[in-house]
Amino acid sequence: MSRQRTMETILASEFVSIGELVRLTESRYSTLKFYTEEGMLPFEQAEENLTRKYIRLATVARIHLIKELKSNGLTIPQIKEALDKDE
Amino acid sequence: MTELTLTQKFTLIALNAQRSLEMTNAKKVSLRCMAAAVILEVYLDSGFAQDNNKLVLKKDVLNQSHTIRYRETIIQPLNHTIGDLSGWLKQASLLSKRKLIKFEHVISESLKEMSLLEEIPHILGCDLYFHSSGVEIKGYRSHIQEYTTITEHIRAEILEDGTVTDETICMLWLLRESGCMHDFFSRNELEQLSTRMYQLYQANPLAKALYRIRIHRGIELAIKQFLRMKKVAVKTPVGSGLNFLFPILERSQSVFIDTEAMFSNSRTRLHDVRMRLESKGHAVKVLGDGTIPTIKIDNIIYEAIPHATYGRVPIHGVRLLPIHPS
Repeated sequence: MSRQRTMETILASEFVSIGELVRLTESRYSTLKFYTEEGMLPFEQAEENLTRKYIRLATVARIHLIKELKSNGLTIPQIKEALDKDE
Repeated sequence: MTELTLTQKFTLIALNAQRSLEMTNAKKVSLRCMAAAVILEVYLDSGFAQDNNKLVLKKDVLNQSHTIRYRETIIQPLNHTIGDLSGWLKQASLLSKRKLIKFEHVISESLKEMSLLEEIPHILGCDLYFHSSGVEIKGYRSHIQEYTTITEHIRAEILEDGTVTDETICMLWLLRESGCMHDFFSRNELEQLSTRMYQLYQANPLAKALYRIRIHRGIELAIKQFLRMKKVAVKTPVGSGLNFLFPILERSQSVFIDTEAMFSNSRTRLHDVRMRLESKGHAVKVLGDGTIPTIKIDNIIYEAIPHATYGRVPIHGVRLLPIHPS
């Protein structure tokens, strides 16, 4: 049996899945998937067809930053540029 | 953040936008699946012991069920020597209307106490004919952010590669049985979903036991489909032996809202419609502007199409048509 992790366990983990990021950041799955495919959210994947894992603290902070930049009126290419500078 | 149980999560999906005072066909289907969710929840919490191909409810589950009242309303009336998982799910879903109403009352009250569910005037009450006749229709509205988080989490888990948790396996079965799949997945995604469910069926013991069980009554879904002039939308044969069909149950409403005047400007027309909806307690968010704007009312997305009805005098307004992911 593989049970869903509680929020307490998620908050104590170093790595989280995209589904858990949905819960943590109250974002839509399609939005996070788009950010991932655009290279805005780095992830680790042991093998193809295995769960993509994101570093919890860094990724949550990055999603909040993207949201903030978006609310300031920046376009996706501009946000990507800002994130690249940030690194 | 409160950790919700499987039944509570499914209830927020199943009761959203349903009429709260009347027993509609769609609500009956939802309540049956919510009752089945209680059994699955107990099953996942190891509340059953295996005894010669039979599932026997552990005594402590019954003794402790009064602490979770909604569980008690479903578990108490059941015959506790039913048999396998299929037997338990079928019997729970076949509980009498009176018992299902009691269950609805108990679980909706607990969710209201947690501020996750509320009763507001139903969107149908904004329709010209209901609005002008003074008929009051009430409906449930699930907490908008919680609803989105639950549904998006399911989507993320099943559409992504990797492990699928037991809760999501159960939730997908509940969504299938209640005819809600089309509310959350586009046609392309449904094909992907069908493949994933078949893979789970082959590899995961829970999915293998669960996905072959059917509790939906074809007649109920068929009646609804006939009324809405809709047919089963996706039929995806995967391999042999098991055919994943996703029946559709239209739960949203097509509503005509009359405007105070014949607006030539789409913005003023939309503003007028928005005022009517907000005056009835609905949360309105405009997602797309234009001649036919897209608006999110509570948890459902609609297209607002300029429309007129003709009686003695023409009445101008907007018809709200629910849109599903395409």
